Amino acid sequence: MSVNEKFTSIRKGLLEFLVLKVIAADKVYAADILNQLSRTEFATQEGTLYPLLSKMRREELVDYEWKESDAGPPRKYYQLTAKGREQLRETAEYWQKINATLRNLGQP
Amino acid sequence: MNKVISINLNGNAYQLEEGGFEALRAYLDTAARRLEGNPDKAEIIADIEQAIAGKFRSLLGANKTVVVEKEVEDIIAEMGPVEDASGAPEAPPPGAAAQAPGAAPAPDAGGGGGVPRRLFRIHEGAKIGGVCNGLAAYFNIDVTLVRIAFAFLIFAWGSGLLLYILMWVILPSASTPAEMAAAHGAPSATAQEFIRRAREGYYEGMRTFGDKQAHREWKRRFKSEMRGWKRDFHREMNQRARAWWPGWGPWAPHPATSGAWIAEPVLTMLITLVNIVGMIALISLVATGDILGMGFLPWWPFWARILTLIGIICLLRCPLKAIRRSVYGWGYGWCGPWGGLWCILKWVLIVYMVIWIFGGHGGFHDSLYHLPPRLHHAADSVRQWWNQQ
Repeated sequence: MSVNEKFTSIRKGLLEFLVLKVIAADKVYAADILNQLSRTEFATQEGTLYPLLSKMRREELVDYEWKESDAGPPRKYYQLTAKGREQLRETAEYWQKINATLRNLGQP
Repeated sequence: MNKVISINLNGNAYQLEEGGFEALRAYLDTAARRLEGNPDKAEIIADIEQAIAGKFRSLLGANKTVVVEKEVEDIIAEMGPVEDASGAPEAPPPGAAAQAPGAAPAPDAGGGGGVPRRLFRIHEGAKIGGVCNGLAAYFNIDVTLVRIAFAFLIFAWGSGLLLYILMWVILPSASTPAEMAAAHGAPSATAQEFIRRAREGYYEGMRTFGDKQAHREWKRRFKSEMRGWKRDFHREMNQRARAWWPGWGPWAPHPATSGAWIAEPVLTMLITLVNIVGMIALISLVATGDILGMGFLPWWPFWARILTLIGIICLLRCPLKAIRRSVYGWGYGWCGPWGGLWCILKWVLIVYMVIWIFGGHGGFHDSLYHLPPRLHHAADSVRQWWNQQ
């Protein structure tokens, strides 16, 4: 089992964190998110992203507004809510802790 | 040369090759099934449709108007399988618990997999006897809807109350875990499919809400589809009933047995008589507190007297109706285009005959004459009571 395979479920769990991070940077629509993630190890597909976004909206982490686009129908632009920002901050902190643990564990 | 099918994705028409259309439909059906129970299902599906539409748009141009099968397959692969992200964070309602995880296997295995569903009373979260709860679990619908239906039935001649009490007495209550599982187990395939379709059709209807033409078209299709499913459901229920009870009536009137031509109208007349007498007795009981001057269980509370009377009427009607059904095979459905008219005509005729027969005896006429003053009297007493408040 390659490292890549071993990390499948971990990547899946982290996806929400990454999506929060992408949305925090700028107002984006779904294709933007996919595009940004496609260049990373977290490349994902619409079939996964849309249900995730709708779940995050239900949990009031993100919110969207319809915006006209010059190419095609209006798009949903996502942004973080206060709760979403809080969640992002907490997750980032926790991630730092995990990183520190990884660095320090096993060292004298 | 391939056949082309036009589809509507989020308000825009696209032309697909037939194979591509089938592939896309299978993809969206699977997605809908995976999202079963997700409150945002309709929205997610709409998002996905829009994403697919965007990909189609980028393929098409002035010189290319049809998406070929291969392109559809590529796009589906690009989209990836739809996965429900909500890992059941909030506790699903008890009725949905059995369905949500089991929704993925197709409900075609003659009643779903696992335990066959049985009707129980369920005490967890029950308001009275757990009858509504059990029914909700059996049909996999919201228990509030079942309660509302019962409340409505109570207004319809109190039949809801009677039904409730009967079911309370007859139905076993689910106490062991095995019985609980059976209470929530797989329902009839048709019922499950019917409810799924109804839900799906409802979402689709909501989506076409802005577009008048599309909405009308949806309404027409939805109605006809629901009628079809209702028919199937009735047929299945009837088959089950016949398996339990050989005397259950068949659908269409079968060729009349000898003597049916006389037995059928006589029985109908008897039933009508019971109906009319019952109605008069009920009105008189409500208006004056006893039946046409005769004391009727005067030591019982008022509501118990009304319930008992309704029970007696039902008890009188039931065997008569059962006999009529077995003699003539009284169908439940729509029997031919003139069935409704014929039914009304027959009723008018029967009521007229009953009045004519009883007209000769005077007593009936007298009571008819006395009915309006009695009703006036009842209305007056209600008004007086109201004024006193």
